[in-house]
Amino acid sequence: MTIAKALSGRPIRRRRERGVLPLLLGPSIVLIAVFVIAPAGYGIYLGLTDTQLTGWAARDPQFVGLENFRNLLGSEDFLASLGRTGEFVLWSAIIGQTVLGMVAALLLRTKWLRGKGLFGALVLLPMVVPEVVASLTWASVLSSDGDGTLNRLLGLFGSGAAAPLQDHPMASVVIINVWRGIALAMIMFQAALEDVPDELIESARMDGASALQVFRYITLPLIRGPVFLYLLLTTITTVGVFGLVYFLTQGGPGQETELASIYIFHRAFQYSQIGLGSAASVILLVLLMILGLTYARLAKVEV
Amino acid sequence: MAATTTVEPQAATAPVSPPRRRTPTWSVVQRALQYALMVLLALFCVVPFAWVALTAVDADGGPTVSLPAFTLDNFVRFFTDGGTPRLFLNSVIVSFAATALNLVCGLLGGYGLSRYRFRGRTTFMFGILLIRVIPPPATIVALYLLMVKMQLDDSYLGLILAEAAAALPITLWLLKGTIDAVPAELEEAAWLDGNTRFGAIRRIILPLVGPGLGAAAMLTFMHVWGDFLTPLVLLQSPDLYPLSIGLFRSFTAFHQVDWGVLAASALVYMAPPAVLYIFLRRHLMRSSLGGAIKG
Repeated sequence: MTIAKALSGRPIRRRRERGVLPLLLGPSIVLIAVFVIAPAGYGIYLGLTDTQLTGWAARDPQFVGLENFRNLLGSEDFLASLGRTGEFVLWSAIIGQTVLGMVAALLLRTKWLRGKGLFGALVLLPMVVPEVVASLTWASVLSSDGDGTLNRLLGLFGSGAAAPLQDHPMASVVIINVWRGIALAMIMFQAALEDVPDELIESARMDGASALQVFRYITLPLIRGPVFLYLLLTTITTVGVFGLVYFLTQGGPGQETELASIYIFHRAFQYSQIGLGSAASVILLVLLMILGLTYARLAKVEV
Repeated sequence: MAATTTVEPQAATAPVSPPRRRTPTWSVVQRALQYALMVLLALFCVVPFAWVALTAVDADGGPTVSLPAFTLDNFVRFFTDGGTPRLFLNSVIVSFAATALNLVCGLLGGYGLSRYRFRGRTTFMFGILLIRVIPPPATIVALYLLMVKMQLDDSYLGLILAEAAAALPITLWLLKGTIDAVPAELEEAAWLDGNTRFGAIRRIILPLVGPGLGAAAMLTFMHVWGDFLTPLVLLQSPDLYPLSIGLFRSFTAFHQVDWGVLAASALVYMAPPAVLYIFLRRHLMRSSLGGAIKG
């Protein structure tokens, strides 16, 4: 249908030419289908093959069924990397970011506190810098050769030099990820706290409830939904953390910080086992889905 | 703990203990604690950056915070030395192209989603939202192989397309919401005046969705500019490396790390998003405000 035809006589409201719709949505659908959906589907297929990046099998990949999955689930390396991801998510996202983010959000809610604007801006800083800059920053803080920022600070207290990235690699990356994620938690909780009426809290305080009790029995139940939503979001993003850790440790020393995401990268691109890496991705996705559904169930939110 | 076990907000105020007056000292201590907490948190967030800022202008910078011998030499070296300007240029090319492509597709797509009711529309909207749940490392392997098959690996074009697509779901949602807020009557008036549908999009919609477009541009640009994993996997030739990969390579070449230039690069790397943020801040405020009002 041409536009000229549409103009002649037809009521204007009817002007919803179907012909234009593919033109409008087409580019987006093609882009998303080819570069987002197709890789996801292709990944599942690759997981069922013994595709290699180089060498003989690269020419002629075979369909091997569930062998990759069998191998992975029997592989200590892979299970250990899943365990490390679990540990990483638990300590940095679910505990660290949530607790500190809540503290920051509650501080921002305190009426008599001065300098809240500056405080909010400063907390936001670690989140807005690019991943690589965040890593580089911490590389200098934790630098072991002589005097990184941390060792300077330790020196002030008279303790000896430490090499945290070598001695406590997991704890280091957990702290770094907490540092980067406080802001998101703060923003989400701050928005949620705005819906908690002040009068409710004040009246509870009048009745003699302590600040802790007010938080536990009034504030927390009221912001339960947003908290679970945040936990879901942060779990997903934390499982997907790659650059922040890879930049600093490349999964080392040994394999101590080889998270599942780094395991996949190593398998696929260092050992060129594309099939195995893809199968690992599928397992990771399935686990993530189960986790997501569990959160949704716990929060009693509809998805 | 409290005698009350119910989570009913009203019932939670049930008497716990006889009301007690808080002594002034206690409240002073409490306030002091809260200030201390705030300062500690702020320091935790900011102190790591001290090094980047100081080393960048330090003549003999190392991985340490020291009083700098002030110099802008590191920045000069960044822009004159070897391959670093190239890294910057690559980042600029990829980020701007991907953002432009993303916005064009997002604007058209968002318009379609906003103005047409068709079967599968809601499914599509939620489907693309669900995509965001997939962590990038989980699909990167297949994406790489797919790119090799399409001969788009190790090229600007491949990276641009992949980055534009990755940020598209958010852009579509954002622009769909923004266009929803533009009254259809305005467009109908434009049609009556003889504009084509696309003419009306350009003359009526485009000027009115500035805030949403600004927000989408900002988010997409930040995403592409800061991305590490996708270029790391897709690009092999150092000629094409963006800044993120360049920084990584020069950092992992551990024995000849030039901390001064590295820190200067980090600052240069942070500059474009910061500038963009300053320019688009007002737009961002307005759009987030609009979103808040609409609920």
